[in-house]
Amino acid sequence: MPEEKIDFKKARMKAGIEIHQQLDSKQKLFCGCSTAMQEKEPVAVVVRKQHPVASELGAIDAAAQYEYLRGRSFHYHVFRDETCLVDTDEEPPHALNREALQIALEIAMLLNCEIPAEINVMRKTITDGSNTGAFQRTMIIGTGGWMKFGGKKVPITQVALEEDSAAIVREGENGNGGKDPAEENGKATYRLNRLGVPLVEITTGTLEDFSPGQLQEIAFMIGITCRSTEKVKHGIGTIRQDLNVSVRGGERVEVKGVQELGMLAKVIEKEAARQLELLKTGKKVEKETRATLLDGSTRFMRPMPGAARMYPETDVPPVALDDVWLKQLREKLPEPWTDKLERFKTKLELPADLAVQVVGSDYLDIFENIMKKHPKVNAVVVANVFTSTLKDIGRRKLDVKRLEDRHFFAIFSELEKKRIVKEAIPDLLVNFVNAPDEAMGDALRKLNLTMLKPDELKEIVAQLAKDSPGMAKERLYGIAMGRVRGRADPQDVLKAVERAAKK
Amino acid sequence: MYSPEIEALLKKKGVEAGGRVRVTAGKAEYEGILMPRVVAGDAQSIVLKLENGYNLSVRYGKGFEMKKLAGGARIKHKAADVAPAKDASKPTVTVLGCGGTIASRVDYTTGAVFPAFSPGDMLASFPELKEVANIRGRKLFDLFSDDMTPAHWQAIAAEVAKEIKAKADGIILMHGTDTMHYTAAAMSFMLPNLPVPVVMVGSQRSSDRGSSDNAMNLTCGAVAAVSDVAEVGVCMHGTTNDDYCLLHQGTKVRKLHTSRRDAFRSINVRPFAKIWYEDRRMEVLRDDYKRRGHAGRFALDDKMNPRVGFVYNHPGMDPAYVASLANHFDGIVVAATGLGHVSTNPKGDPLARSIVPALKALVDSGMPVVFVPQTIYGRINLNVYEAGRILEAAGVIGNGCDWTPEAALVKLMWVLGHTKDPKKVRELMLTNVAGELTERTGTETFMT
Repeated sequence: MPEEKIDFKKARMKAGIEIHQQLDSKQKLFCGCSTAMQEKEPVAVVVRKQHPVASELGAIDAAAQYEYLRGRSFHYHVFRDETCLVDTDEEPPHALNREALQIALEIAMLLNCEIPAEINVMRKTITDGSNTGAFQRTMIIGTGGWMKFGGKKVPITQVALEEDSAAIVREGENGNGGKDPAEENGKATYRLNRLGVPLVEITTGTLEDFSPGQLQEIAFMIGITCRSTEKVKHGIGTIRQDLNVSVRGGERVEVKGVQELGMLAKVIEKEAARQLELLKTGKKVEKETRATLLDGSTRFMRPMPGAARMYPETDVPPVALDDVWLKQLREKLPEPWTDKLERFKTKLELPADLAVQVVGSDYLDIFENIMKKHPKVNAVVVANVFTSTLKDIGRRKLDVKRLEDRHFFAIFSELEKKRIVKEAIPDLLVNFVNAPDEAMGDALRKLNLTMLKPDELKEIVAQLAKDSPGMAKERLYGIAMGRVRGRADPQDVLKAVERAAKK
Repeated sequence: MYSPEIEALLKKKGVEAGGRVRVTAGKAEYEGILMPRVVAGDAQSIVLKLENGYNLSVRYGKGFEMKKLAGGARIKHKAADVAPAKDASKPTVTVLGCGGTIASRVDYTTGAVFPAFSPGDMLASFPELKEVANIRGRKLFDLFSDDMTPAHWQAIAAEVAKEIKAKADGIILMHGTDTMHYTAAAMSFMLPNLPVPVVMVGSQRSSDRGSSDNAMNLTCGAVAAVSDVAEVGVCMHGTTNDDYCLLHQGTKVRKLHTSRRDAFRSINVRPFAKIWYEDRRMEVLRDDYKRRGHAGRFALDDKMNPRVGFVYNHPGMDPAYVASLANHFDGIVVAATGLGHVSTNPKGDPLARSIVPALKALVDSGMPVVFVPQTIYGRINLNVYEAGRILEAAGVIGNGCDWTPEAALVKLMWVLGHTKDPKKVRELMLTNVAGELTERTGTETFMT
């Protein structure tokens, strides 16, 4: 399909984004279990069935669901420190985790939401077995918010705090020969350590007049707004995106499970293209839910479910929100990383992509501290060290985790005082990985990275010119650089070469 | 209830719970269905169920406005219209609702959860029941099991007797789990020589969720109700898995966990049977039960004296408190420590306070004092320690008994309903009436 030729504006493409971000609270949302999700070996397996619950839905629907569930059994892996009776649906939920509530409130406030008068916990009926209780606990934390994006306000319809579901054990993982476990004699296997981990679900309004690339950027901005609290989890699987995509003349299609942010634009493009192709050939776009595949395309998952089936969680009384507490939270809100990004671009003059990389990196804190303490150092140099030099060193099988903040401060202090040049930094870092306790002076001497005085540099270059009379300037520069790399600023070397050549 | 201001506003606007409204509070505007205010929570906030299903609380105050909209929902339960099928080849089981909610119906429009009890409701919720038996049933009362009294036990027993007369092949009692083992013991004493099974079932997880243990307990209970175990039984989960239920003897069962599915355990005996959910197979574990069609004559025997007290012995127990029990009760049950002990202070420790004189005074006044094990498992033995021998001499009842505290309590009420003669009370208490006392304890009966 000629994806690059789609005119998304003309196609009236609309999209909504739903971001699920796990929170890094110490305990789960409704129990005292750890949220670490580190345990690998289950200590027990619990086997359960599920039943439909009678509702106002028709008898036929209930009968079909009964037959469907009758043939299925759910196997739950239990972990010693990451699963308890609440997770196995053997004990009522404990009180709502205040730490998670606070993080969620901070996120809702950063997204300019209205905060409700009290928190009402709901049960959302789920029958795929991913919740042992057959429902997910969820609650509204904020409504009617917005986020600035390129001079526009992106509407944030709702911020909800909810329990993560149990993770399904996928193909091959439980030795079932690579089949989808859900298909194996109606048996599905889940790991209970993810169940109950708090997450925020952030829903944007319907977004029009944005390109897929811009939509991906919006998702990124929402993600880093969450990370502004410094209390959200990061790493694979800790942030997941769902989408709603439609084009003119089509229907709203729900796309589930975009695991990687970098795929978002591609998924939107491919889905819009798929819908346009259907319409062009006179076919109908079905209102359905689709799953994301590895290449960014989607496959049919199920018809679009009706409205979420919710009723109150009567085991958790409504949680009153104290005005004084909310006021304190508002006053102590961290600087949103979206603002930080802007500041890096304008004040520190970082190129946009480098600024994004710094904000997204694990070294954001130390980057900012270095810029605070050594403001005369070139921010681009510091940013590059944290976004690429360290990666290069890591690729050489060296453990960069052995580097401590003091090493970085010492190096950038030398740089600010012009006692070293930036070319010396990689060798110094490698040195401190191997000898973390060596004094800076000793390291510089050992590595021969002590900066040359102007006279010394002049003399070396003059000597080189004298040794090879008539040599081309470029070649002389190359030889000189080889001799003084890491000990002189290349600009100064160039000047010295120019001067020597004039003689 | 909402605050008087909100109630007044609702009245003025003509809005009732279930009505659709639009609410403005400052810059925010919401549309949804007005929810009734639950007991907990902020009375100064109104609760709306939004279109996306969530409940949202909006504070009533400055800038608050409400507009009544068309539409809405009635927060009311309508019974399912599934007709109970009649299959001549299948036995008939009567289900009697004794409180506790074993089936629910959820109205997702309003989020309301209704207890469902009509046979139609039950068959809608548990279609597998009709594969086991023809189901008929009715609700006796609607209360938490903690609100049960001996008068309720008498009412249940009378209804069971009526159903037996009406040729039910088995009876299921749906009951809240908290006091289910008390009711089970009461039925065991009040319904001697049962011709058919009487099976109690309940659920530890609310019936509004797809994971509830109700379906398995009820289905296995139905299997027990059509079996040949003509006894009072309690049928509940055997493990945390949905694999099998255990059918416990009514006088030997106890709730041992506040919340787990497998909270009910047999004490000092094996359960009657294991009932596998998947294939509804009953695996009998004992052979000392009465069979359906036995020769004994059934007759309701429901006389009770509820003036029985229960005392939990503890270090530092006040003798004056024990003495005061004479004013309240016709008999007391003492949950004693270890093999059946309370403070007897034979060595005359200056700080210890023996309660033997107080207990002996009660016994001498003609009040039965019954000892049961605080340890739950095991048998009372008053011969081993000096304390026990002192208590035996003081006239407490219970030496050699392996009853559960609850079965002994119910038995004492039942015995006192039949006689006041201390000698006869003692004799009857120490005689096995409904399986509450055994002569041997198998090695496999602890914590299983």
